[in-house]
Amino acid sequence: MKKLTNIFFLLLLSAVAFAQSPTELWARANQAYTDGNYAEAAADYSAIIESAPVITRAYAPVYYNLGNAHFKHGELSQAILAYERSLRLKPTDKNAKYNLRFAQTQIIDNIADTQVFFLREWVTTLRNMLPLSTWMWSSIILFSLMLVCLLLFAFSRSLGLRKAGFYISIVCLVCSTIAFANAASLHHRDSVRAEAIITRGIVNAKASPDRSGTELFTLHEGTKVTIHEELGGYVNIEVGNYNGWIPTNTLERI
Amino acid sequence: MTFVCLLPLLGVGILRAEDVQFRAQAPAQVIVGRPFQFSYTVNQRAKDLRAPEFTDFDYIAGPYTSQSSSTSFVNGKRTSSFQMTFTYTLMAQKEGTFSIPPATITVSGERYTSNGVKITVLPEDQPQQSNSNSGQTAQRSNSGSGQTTQSGPEQGNIFVRTLVSKTKVYEQEAILLSYKVYVAGVDLKQFTNNTTLPDFTSFLQQKIDLQDVQLELENYNGRNYQTATIYSTLLYPQKAGDIQIEPASFEAVLLVPNQARSRSIFDDFFNSYTTATRTLRAPGTTIHVTPLPAGKPASYAGGVGKFTMDAKLSSTEVKTNEAITLTLTIRGAGNMKLLKTPAVDWPEGFEQYDPKVTNNFKTSTGGMSGTRTIEYLAIPRAAGEYILPAIQFGYFDTEKGKYEVLSTPEYTLHIARGAGDQTATAQPAGVNYVNKENIRELGSDIRYISAANFVPASDSEVLHIPFGSWQMYLLYGCPLIIAALLFLIFRKRIRENADIIGMRKRQANSVARKRLKTAKKLLSEQKKEQFFEEIERASLQYLSDRLSIPTADLNKETITSTLRNRTIDETLIERTNRVLSDAAFARYAPAMGIKPEDLYAQTEQLINDLEDCKL
Repeated sequence: MKKLTNIFFLLLLSAVAFAQSPTELWARANQAYTDGNYAEAAADYSAIIESAPVITRAYAPVYYNLGNAHFKHGELSQAILAYERSLRLKPTDKNAKYNLRFAQTQIIDNIADTQVFFLREWVTTLRNMLPLSTWMWSSIILFSLMLVCLLLFAFSRSLGLRKAGFYISIVCLVCSTIAFANAASLHHRDSVRAEAIITRGIVNAKASPDRSGTELFTLHEGTKVTIHEELGGYVNIEVGNYNGWIPTNTLERI
Repeated sequence: MTFVCLLPLLGVGILRAEDVQFRAQAPAQVIVGRPFQFSYTVNQRAKDLRAPEFTDFDYIAGPYTSQSSSTSFVNGKRTSSFQMTFTYTLMAQKEGTFSIPPATITVSGERYTSNGVKITVLPEDQPQQSNSNSGQTAQRSNSGSGQTTQSGPEQGNIFVRTLVSKTKVYEQEAILLSYKVYVAGVDLKQFTNNTTLPDFTSFLQQKIDLQDVQLELENYNGRNYQTATIYSTLLYPQKAGDIQIEPASFEAVLLVPNQARSRSIFDDFFNSYTTATRTLRAPGTTIHVTPLPAGKPASYAGGVGKFTMDAKLSSTEVKTNEAITLTLTIRGAGNMKLLKTPAVDWPEGFEQYDPKVTNNFKTSTGGMSGTRTIEYLAIPRAAGEYILPAIQFGYFDTEKGKYEVLSTPEYTLHIARGAGDQTATAQPAGVNYVNKENIRELGSDIRYISAANFVPASDSEVLHIPFGSWQMYLLYGCPLIIAALLFLIFRKRIRENADIIGMRKRQANSVARKRLKTAKKLLSEQKKEQFFEEIERASLQYLSDRLSIPTADLNKETITSTLRNRTIDETLIERTNRVLSDAAFARYAPAMGIKPEDLYAQTEQLINDLEDCKL
C-alpha cells in the first residue's frame, strides 16, 4: 500500500514537473543546483531540453548548466557531452569552454593528437569560432552587399564609385563564399554527428565488429572519438592514431 | 634522650591530622551456608563501633577486635601505620545480592561513617556427580562447549573460559575479550609462561593491564568456582565479516597430593604434594562484524563510538603577527587512538602550524575513553575581518547506529594591524616597497552555472532558418532576383537614353534642312524677323543634336569649347560663331543690314561642312 502511494506520488510529481513551464523549471533547477541537489537539477535541465520544440542558441545555457550539474554529480561523460553541445550552440561561451577543458582534465585517456596540417587546423578553428546560423546569415548579408556593389559598379557615373564597387564586390563574394563554406561544413558536422563521447567507464576496442574480434586498445569514459561507420550494433571509431570497433551503446553522439 | 621521646609524640600529632579511613570489607561473593568474615578497619584508635543489623545474614560471632601498628624508617623518613580491625563472622541464608548498610564509629570524639557493602550470595554446590560427568565428557570431546575440564582426583575441576563482551559489533567498535580461569577442588599454584594466545589478526589490540588479580567466587553450571581473569584485551575489528578468534592455551601448574598411601605417619601428617602441569585450552569464538553503513559524511574522521567536541578560541580580536590558538577537545569513548585530526580551514593570510595533539586515554574493561586535545596555532599576517569556518567532526555512533557530525561554531576574527606590520601605510615616507605576490591559485573547480534569465522562445528562434532549407536559398535568391531586375531596368533606361542622343545626332541634318526650308519659305513671304529666328534655331538645334549638348547648356562658349575638344578646323569654328552671332544680331538688331540670303547660304554651307566633319 505504501509502495502504491509512493508510485502515485511520483506520478503526481512528474505530472507537476511536466506542467511546469521551461522558465519555472529553469529557476527550480538553478535553486536545486545552489542547494547541492545536483541530480534533481540535472533532471530539470534535461526536462527543459526535452520539452524544447527546436534546439536553438537560446538553449546553450541550459546545456551548460546541465553539464555543471552532471559534473558535480560525478557523471563525467554526461558533463562533457553537455558542454560540447552547449558549445555547438554557442561556440563563443568562455565559461563552457573553460569547464569543458576542466572536465577533460579528469579524463583518464590521454590522446596524443595526430599531427594536423596547420592550415587545416586554422580553418577548423575559424569554423568553430562562430555558430552555424551566424555563418549563414553573414554569408547571405555579404552576398546581398556584393550585389549592391555590382550594381554600383555597373551603373555609377563616378569612376571612383565604380572602382570601389568592383573591388568591394569581389571581397564580399570571397567572404560570402567562405562563410557559406563554414556554414555548410558545420551543417555537415551536425547532420552526420560523427563525433561522440565514450559513456561507459571502460571499453575495449576490437579489430572487427563482433565479440570475437581481437582487442586492440582500451578507452575510458569521457574520451571524444570520431565515428566512421556503424555496423550491426558496433561503430567504427577513430581516436588519435587508433581505429577500432566498439559497441554502439558505449558512446553517445554529440 | 628527650629528643628521642619527643618524636613519637610528634608522630601521633601528624597522624591525627591525617584523614580517618573507616572501611567495611567483605568478600564480593559468598556461598549459602558457609560462614565468611566481614570486617571494619579504621586507621585510628577508635571506639564505639555501631554496626548495622545483618538482616540478610546469620550472625555467628564477633566482633573480634584486633590492632596492629608498624613504624618504619626509610632513608631517614619515618612512616608509621596503625590499624584497628573489627571482624564479624556471618553466614548467608539465601542466594541473591544483598547490601550491608554503613556502620559508624567514634574517633577522638567525632563520628565517622563507613562505606556500604554489596555481597552476592551464590547457591550451594549441586551434587558433584553430574558436574564431574559433564566435565569428563567435555574433556573427552574437547568441544567448544566453553570449557576444557580437568577432572582432578578429588573431583577437582579447572578450566579456562573465553569471554567476549559482544559478538555482534560494528567495524572499529571495541570488544572486550578476556580469559577467565575457573578452579574448584584443585590447587592451582601458578601459570607458566608457556601460553599461546591467538594472534588477533584483523583486530587492533589494546591490552589491559591486570594489576592485582582478585579471586572471585562464581557459580557456574551449578558449581561454585574460584575464578580469576588471567588475560584481558580490547579488540577493535578492522574489517567486516565473521572473524574467527583461534583457541588459546594456558599451562597451569597444579599441586597434586601424592596418590600413594604412605606408610610414614609424618608423610600422612604433612600431606606431601607433587606439582603437575596441565594445559588448559580456551575455546575460540567468532565475532560478527557489521561494516559501517554507506553515506559517510565528508568530515568522517574514522571515529566509532560516542564523542563530544568542544572548541575554544584564544581570542577573536588580535593584531597581526600575534598567535591565535584554537583548542579542540574531543571527549568520548571509542577508538580514540584512530581518530584523525580534523582539518581547520584557516582563512588565507594565516600562517598555520602543525597542530599539537595531547591524548589522555584510559583503557578499561569498558573500552577506551578519554580526551584528545588538539591545539591549532595560526598567526595572522594580514589585517581585516575573516571568517573561520566551522570545524566538522564526523563519527559513527554505535548506539544510534548512524553517522553523527559534530560542529564547532563559526568564528569571526577581527585582525587589527599590528605595530610592526610592514604595509604601505605603516611605512615611513619615502620607503615604498611592497612584496608583490602573484595571484595564488588555491584550488580549481568548474565555473558556476549561468543564472541569467532563460527565455526559451527568443527572437533567434524566429530567425531560425535551417541550413540548406528552401528559406535559406530564398534569402540568396531574392537579392539576386532584385539585383537582376534592377540591372535590367537600369540598362534599358541607359540604352534608351543613348538611343535618343544617337538618333538626334543622326537626324540633326534632316531636322536642320527642314528648318532651313521653313526659313526659305518665310523669306519668300518677307517675314524677315521669323526668318532670322528660324535660322538661329536651326543652327542651334543642329549643333545641340550633333554635339549632344543638352539644350540647357547651349551657348556660344560651350559650343566653341566642345568643337575645339573635337579638333575641328579653327576656320570652321570661326564660321560657326559668325553664323550664330549674325543670326542673333539680325534677329535683335535688324538695322545691321545683314542680308537674309547671305545668312541663309552661309548657314546651309556651315551645316553641310559640319556634316562632313567627323564629330
